[in-house]
Amino acid sequence: MMKSMTGKEKFFWISYGIGLTFLFLLSSTDLIIKEEEAKVHPISVIVEADSDDNYVNFRKGMDLAAVELNADVNFITLYEKGNRRQQEELLKREQQDGSSALIVAPVNGEAVLAMQEENQLVLPLVFINSETVGEPGTGKTAAVTFDYFTMGEKLGKEIAAVRSPNEKLYFLENEAMSVAGRKFMEGIRSGAAEGSEGPAASYAWAPEAEKGKILEKLTEGWTQKIILVAPEPESLLEAAQMLEDIEGAKEWVTGLYGRGSSVPILNFLDKGIIKGLCITDDFSAGYLSVKAAIELAEGGAVQTGNYLDSYFIRRGDLRDEKYEKILYPVE
Amino acid sequence: MRSMKKYCILLSELWLCAFFLLTGCAGTKGAEEKKSIRIGVSLYRGDDTFLNNIRGELERCAKDFEQEKGVKVTLDIQDAKGNQNTQNDQVERFLALGCDVLCINPVDRTAASVLIDKAMAAQTPVIFFNRQPVAEDMDRWDRIFYVGAEAKASAVLQGSIVVDGYRENPEKLDLNGDGVVSYVLLEGESSHQDSLIRTEWSVQTLKDGGVPIEKLTGGIANWERSQASALMEQWLEKYPGRIELVICNNDDMALGAIDAMERAGMEGIAVVGIDGTTPGLAAVESGKLMGTVAIDRTQYAGAILAIATGEALGWEPDAKLEFEDGKYYQCPWQIVVKK
Repeated sequence: MMKSMTGKEKFFWISYGIGLTFLFLLSSTDLIIKEEEAKVHPISVIVEADSDDNYVNFRKGMDLAAVELNADVNFITLYEKGNRRQQEELLKREQQDGSSALIVAPVNGEAVLAMQEENQLVLPLVFINSETVGEPGTGKTAAVTFDYFTMGEKLGKEIAAVRSPNEKLYFLENEAMSVAGRKFMEGIRSGAAEGSEGPAASYAWAPEAEKGKILEKLTEGWTQKIILVAPEPESLLEAAQMLEDIEGAKEWVTGLYGRGSSVPILNFLDKGIIKGLCITDDFSAGYLSVKAAIELAEGGAVQTGNYLDSYFIRRGDLRDEKYEKILYPVE
Repeated sequence: MRSMKKYCILLSELWLCAFFLLTGCAGTKGAEEKKSIRIGVSLYRGDDTFLNNIRGELERCAKDFEQEKGVKVTLDIQDAKGNQNTQNDQVERFLALGCDVLCINPVDRTAASVLIDKAMAAQTPVIFFNRQPVAEDMDRWDRIFYVGAEAKASAVLQGSIVVDGYRENPEKLDLNGDGVVSYVLLEGESSHQDSLIRTEWSVQTLKDGGVPIEKLTGGIANWERSQASALMEQWLEKYPGRIELVICNNDDMALGAIDAMERAGMEGIAVVGIDGTTPGLAAVESGKLMGTVAIDRTQYAGAILAIATGEALGWEPDAKLEFEDGKYYQCPWQIVVKK
């Protein structure tokens, strides 16, 4: 015969049941303790290029920031490099699609700022690789960028130091140069002019032309050797490839200089085809731009104005621990 | 009581009709209005040249699709860095961020079931590419696809480059004139389905083509240029003047062998690769590489994107895609030699 439970026992079991239910609700549901919902910030990055070839390290930094700072970052390239209209359309599209901040490497920084002033863009903007910085501190814009003029000036002085007076300095310009490229070249001209008085000229870079003819044209009428300077990473890579492919090019071209930190460019530096290179810490730029975008999206006012550091390196510096960290960042 | 029962049945039927009508309509409307899709792409290793080429082509195809169809395509591309756990985390993140479809180049093709479990739970279709999961995993769901290129065909074509070269000019391959072409072999990862097949059929084609061959040695360089270069350097020291042909399972390893030969100042050794990567094609053009076997990258990436967009938008995949068993798409290969 089973003995019926006493009042005390009943009370104990009922309390035990209530206790278990309470603990379950406490630990496994948010009915009692509301778990703070982690807010994911959708952020769009729209660059001026049609590929991410020069944004590899930037993207690594960006991706790390996305994971650490809880952002959903969408990296977008243009259909056609340097097409301002396309970039403006994409900025509007991303705003419409729910981005909470926009990071932009502008084709035309002033035009993007004007869009914000005219309220076509109401989202906060973070400018990268740009001379345009907007109005830092207002909560509407921030900038994570490099001082391209100073970077160029540094390179110009390095070239001037090794250049003999009869070596002609050639700038590989083209019409579709970015603002960064133009500023960089102004800096090189300024730096190179300070240290030497040798002849300098610009050459309209047309990589689609026959490579042999380019060198023929560059050396036409000249008896002295030449130093090539490419203000854009793309033209630097093309020129390096040209020098590698053309037999006897090294006899005429004593140096090739420029900026960039993509792996193919670094390989040419390692091979000795590129003599010197200006590099930037793109990984940090990627991380910091996403961080700035999140701060702006949350209503903060990011105080920016300082440029990130840039460096001049030669072949021997590639194995230097300091530069290795910048050029081959480990996420 | 009976009329009450009839009334209840009628009411239930009406509810059912309303439910199906509403859900049906909502589904059609949703599919019509979808103007944006998100595709999560995970690569087993971001520094693999072939995959980088495919990735670039995938991005280009996505842009073309956007412009042509007016549907925004967000490609979320991640590098798993050769770590299956990292890839599993990436897939979880893709699903949490609401990706409509996943394109996965699995780190470990035998461990795809974990990824499939997650995708099936979220009802998100998966397209595997380059590294084929085992058949048992592929058959688990009708929304799992594979895009690749047939390993045997690539190896047969690679072998035929050497056979044709030998028939044309035997001295070019039999450098020491002993009547036998001595070769070394650089193989990809042992766990990759293509490595064994490429090795087997490339050598078999040489034998079938009547090329007298002798294997000096071989080694696994895991598809990597640096590892291949290191192995080749050792072999050049171990077999001085004896290596006449280097057969490589991919272009990166072929370029690694060429790097070692250049360092050692060796010339004349024939090297053949597979994949048709950008540096590989450039090496063929410059005469450093005897030949390679390439896929049409646009077609390869285009197939991945066509299936992905089709699944995400509910559109029928492009009629030009011919699937094996309804889920395997194999891209054709072609020989690339210097003209």
